[in-house]
Amino acid sequence: MTLLEVEGISVHYGRIRAIRDMSFSVNEGEVVSLIGANGAGKTTTMKTISGILNPSVGKITFAGEDITKMKAHIRVVRGISQAPEGRGIFPGMTVMENLDMGTFGRKNRAGVPQDLERVFDLFPRLKERIKQYGGTMSGGEQQMLAIGRALMSDPKLLLLDEPSMGLAPQFIRQIFKIIKEINKQGTTVLMVEQNANQALAGAHRAFVLETGEITHSGTGKELLANPAIKEAYLGVG
Amino acid sequence: MSMTDGPTPLPEAAAAQAAADREAVAAGPGSSVTPERRGRPGIFGAWGEKWNALPRQQQWAFLIVVVILAYMLPLINPPIITTEPGNNFALACFDMARFALIAVGLNVVVGYAGLLDLGYVAFFAVGSYCAAMLTSPDSPFLHIPYLWTIPIAMAVTMFFGVVLGVPTLRLRGDYLAIVTLGFGEIVRILATIIPAMKGQVGFQNVGHPPGTEADGTPIFSNSNGVPWYWLTLTIIIIITLLVGNLERSRVGRAWIAIREDEDAAEIMGVPTFKYKVWAFAIGAAIGGLSGALFAGQVGFVNNQKFDVTTSILFLAAVVLGGAGNKVGAIIGGALVSYIPLRFTAIAEYKYLIFGIALVLIMIFRSQGLFPARQRLLAYGRTAYQRVAKKDGASLPSNGKPPTGLRPDRDREKGIQA
Ligand SMILES: Nc1ncnc2c1ncn2[C@@H]1O[C@H](COP(=O)(O)OP(=O)(O)OP(=O)(O)O)[C@@H](O)[C@H]1O
Ligand SMILES: [Mg+2]
Repeated sequence: MTLLEVEGISVHYGRIRAIRDMSFSVNEGEVVSLIGANGAGKTTTMKTISGILNPSVGKITFAGEDITKMKAHIRVVRGISQAPEGRGIFPGMTVMENLDMGTFGRKNRAGVPQDLERVFDLFPRLKERIKQYGGTMSGGEQQMLAIGRALMSDPKLLLLDEPSMGLAPQFIRQIFKIIKEINKQGTTVLMVEQNANQALAGAHRAFVLETGEITHSGTGKELLANPAIKEAYLGVG
Repeated sequence: MSMTDGPTPLPEAAAAQAAADREAVAAGPGSSVTPERRGRPGIFGAWGEKWNALPRQQQWAFLIVVVILAYMLPLINPPIITTEPGNNFALACFDMARFALIAVGLNVVVGYAGLLDLGYVAFFAVGSYCAAMLTSPDSPFLHIPYLWTIPIAMAVTMFFGVVLGVPTLRLRGDYLAIVTLGFGEIVRILATIIPAMKGQVGFQNVGHPPGTEADGTPIFSNSNGVPWYWLTLTIIIIITLLVGNLERSRVGRAWIAIREDEDAAEIMGVPTFKYKVWAFAIGAAIGGLSGALFAGQVGFVNNQKFDVTTSILFLAAVVLGGAGNKVGAIIGGALVSYIPLRFTAIAEYKYLIFGIALVLIMIFRSQGLFPARQRLLAYGRTAYQRVAKKDGASLPSNGKPPTGLRPDRDREKGIQA
């Protein structure tokens, strides 16, 4: 079943067009990766889906409902949750308070303790640091916090904007394992990555974004095997 | 627009009160974000630790003593502290209380929601004019008892806050500051050009609360600061408790999140625009309230008292005290009023002195005298308790599971652990 359907959207910053006539979909239960170079429009795509930006044309459907004009904070209630690029945690709040903010928009409060435990199981480091201020966490810890906080809203669709950004190589593998685990537990994941290798290997399906347009699509394996993509994104060829 | 839509956090009255008490004097060293600052507690920081270490009964006892002393202040008229002979001390006390109340209101806007409002004096002016135009014999409008003008002034300024907030709060940062600056001037200019507002001539004999002494003079006379001070102090206490409750509620969490990162707040499900309008409206209502009190006490309102520098002075009070901390705001407001009244020789230079003081504070104590701190929020607290119950041993709290009623107390240890 299609969970997210993006149909022909274009997004502008003033007169600059960052996204041009983009269409793709995410099915329930999938991990979908969006890869592309700097400035390709990945973050713009994510912000448009979460509702921080509005498309000038096109339509976005989530779980059968047209959400193109819906405010970002209501999309959270519908089940879209984003871990923004550069983490975007609340620096002056503790880890616990950050996680708590993640529950702000959710309706089902009874599930909060379970979800908290789930987050602590995925990221034991967060549990050790519940009283530390977000702003004093290391970059990798902030990334965990951003993902954990996004999970606290009990999302149907988790948007991850460069979850591996600024992480050490061994930790990158770990974070992709965790993403896989989150997906196994039933959350659909749409992620944006520059680390094409891992992002393609870990995805059911993937799209390649170049200057605001989707140029390739296929399963993660297909794209990994595609010579053009190998050359451009995987540093081989 | 309902403020408490959705689930409200658990109103643990006791916990809330405890937090209020703690904050009343506490300014913990752990309040700022960066570790360098945390390591430097400062004079008030050490206070905060001692305060947190006291049992609840002692905290209560201390607070009661402070409140009683505050009420007695104009009667005691302490020798060195007094503003006399330059200025009547009871009137000075009223002025300090008025500034403190303004700072509490502006703190909601600037401190909690992080909205830089450079035109707050406009709300103060609207409140003053409300009281004046509804009670002064110079006013052509209907006349009502003075005390009624207080809620009316609050409602009217709240309305102005919404009217100003709805178009402008979509703007961010610098743009908002400039628009509010403009609004501050507009009110003053309107008071000059609208005939009914009587420009510089103004309104004489603004009303006051009822009651006369044995000899027939009114209790709330212009020359007697004591009853006015007591009234204002009582209002400050009530408003501070109400604001404190808001701060600990879902609304307060939304404000703090907006202040920290507006986009992030929005994608957490916070209707940021709505909560910004609420902050603006609540701040405005408190500004209007202090305006009405001011009009009543002075007994005269014209267009000369509401300039931009006054707005800046209000802002200085909040920043000086520590944006985001209501007790800091009270003390900041009182200080900004007190210093020029006490040291009349330097009163002329008050802006110079506040300027230097602010620069120094920003360098040495960038969070203000009493830095704000967030405490464990309501949901976090219960969830945290559950986790703590499950395996208290792994938590950095000296082995004993935190009660949840004392989250701040454990926090310092937690950070260092
Ligand atoms: N606020 C903005 N105003 C104007 N142009 C913008 C703005 N934000 C992004 N852009 C432009 O839109 C294009 C796409 O940006 P976007 O942030 O989506 O790229 P990205 O794929 O996420 O890049 P990166 O991998 O570096 O994060 C870029 O050319 C960028 O310069
Ligand atoms: Mg990006």
